[in-house]
Amino acid sequence: MEKSKKAAPKTSFEDALTELEEIAMRLEDGDLGLDDSIKEFEKGIKLARICHDKLEEAERKIEILQKGDNSSNEVKNRRVAVKSDTGEIEDDEELQGSLI
Amino acid sequence: MTADLVPEFFTVSELTKILKDEIENSPNFTSIWVKGEIYNLTYHSSGHIYFTVKDEGALLSAVFFRYANKNMKFKLEEGMSVLLFGGLTVFEKRGSYQMNVHQARPDGAGELQKRIEQLKKRLEDEGIFDPSRKRPLPLLPKRIGVVTSPTGAAIKDIIKVALRRYPNIEIILAPAIVQGDGAAKTIAAAIAELNKPRWNIDVIIAGRGGGSFEDLMPFNEEIVVRAFYNSRVPIISAVGHQIDHPLSDAAADAAAPTPSVAAEIAVPLKSDLIDEIKYHLSRIENSLYQNLSDKKNIYKNLVSRKIFRNPMEIVNRRGMLLDEVENRLTAVMRSSISRKREKLLRIPDIERLEKGILTSKKHQFHMRLQAIEKMSPLNIMKRGYSIAEDSRGAVIKSVENTGTGDKIEIRLQDGRIRSTVESVIKGD
Repeated sequence: MEKSKKAAPKTSFEDALTELEEIAMRLEDGDLGLDDSIKEFEKGIKLARICHDKLEEAERKIEILQKGDNSSNEVKNRRVAVKSDTGEIEDDEELQGSLI
Repeated sequence: MTADLVPEFFTVSELTKILKDEIENSPNFTSIWVKGEIYNLTYHSSGHIYFTVKDEGALLSAVFFRYANKNMKFKLEEGMSVLLFGGLTVFEKRGSYQMNVHQARPDGAGELQKRIEQLKKRLEDEGIFDPSRKRPLPLLPKRIGVVTSPTGAAIKDIIKVALRRYPNIEIILAPAIVQGDGAAKTIAAAIAELNKPRWNIDVIIAGRGGGSFEDLMPFNEEIVVRAFYNSRVPIISAVGHQIDHPLSDAAADAAAPTPSVAAEIAVPLKSDLIDEIKYHLSRIENSLYQNLSDKKNIYKNLVSRKIFRNPMEIVNRRGMLLDEVENRLTAVMRSSISRKREKLLRIPDIERLEKGILTSKKHQFHMRLQAIEKMSPLNIMKRGYSIAEDSRGAVIKSVENTGTGDKIEIRLQDGRIRSTVESVIKGD
């Protein structure tokens, strides 16, 4: 069993960003009452937080897929180091050229 | 004739040097395609290939060096019709020129081109290149899948560009052979592998750096085109090319002329996204504060009115009003009470009055009584009169009312006489 993480809101980055923009436009229209303005403001802050969290979700890693040692068709992922200025993969093991 | 006049001349070396410079530096001769038949073919042990290429009117010496011919996918044969790509060089010592071949393809490459065209038509009819099925790429991919050679320039370029644009991006490379026989199968397999849900890929880049027509051939093969078409994950075709688009470009969701450009298409600039979020956030903040300060001004205008400046004034004023009402009320009450009390105090007078009335009435009664008393028969009898009554007490007013022998009583002023009637005499 996978440990079930607490179900995060399924809002995608795109959706959150779009909604954030819509809130900005609604607030700029200036038609909202004070209560609604504050509500929208709070919603906007929340969405900006979601967007920001989504941006940091990825954790910078380069992996290479390789065939398993045995004859099974199992494919494994192995993390490799790279030089970020040249993009060169630094790996001690010899890289397999393909998965088949 | 004298030998005085020596004409301007070139030495042989000078002339040859000029020709060499002219030919070897002219774009007309440095990157050209030449078509002809192979003749006098020699495979040298050094790996270089020497031959003559000719047609019905002329000959051309050619050399195909090892570094250039090692990746060639077919064997040159005597009499074969070929297309050669390369440049002319001048060989000074022999006073000859020759072609330095970089690439050779069988003249039958026209056949290959024809085959690609046929495949394109067939797949097109099947709807594989339908532009309407191209999906938008995700704005923020977390994990990029890459299908290319693990040792080629393409993967380096992709990693370099992706990390520069988005430092915490995740990249998974599914290695594939990208040229030569069997390459197509490994490319298709790698695309299929990255489509497995376990790898959580948001977008795939599949391709290779630039190369010869043959080098790029795997990306024109049906199995690869279908792998692009069948990719569940949005996929970018990233095959380095200058002229002809590989068929994979048309089957992919997006196409890039080089792997670097593909990485730029796939990976957003993180700083741009942060700026965009910040921009919207500042709009939201500014307009809220604007709204607040607008409302505050309205409030300020309101509170600057006298009433709001000193709210106690209202209370005081109301208090004064209350006091006044109370005072008035009290006054009214007081006067009412005192009036009532006066009335109450006046009640004994009434009694006295009534007593007076009574007295006068008593007096009147007394007077009346006196008058009545004066009129009483008793008073008349005092003057000598008497009253005869029969035995029942009735007054005898006529002789008719009595008879001889009747017992009668005669009332006088001071007593009675009982008597018996001896005789009745009518009239006097």
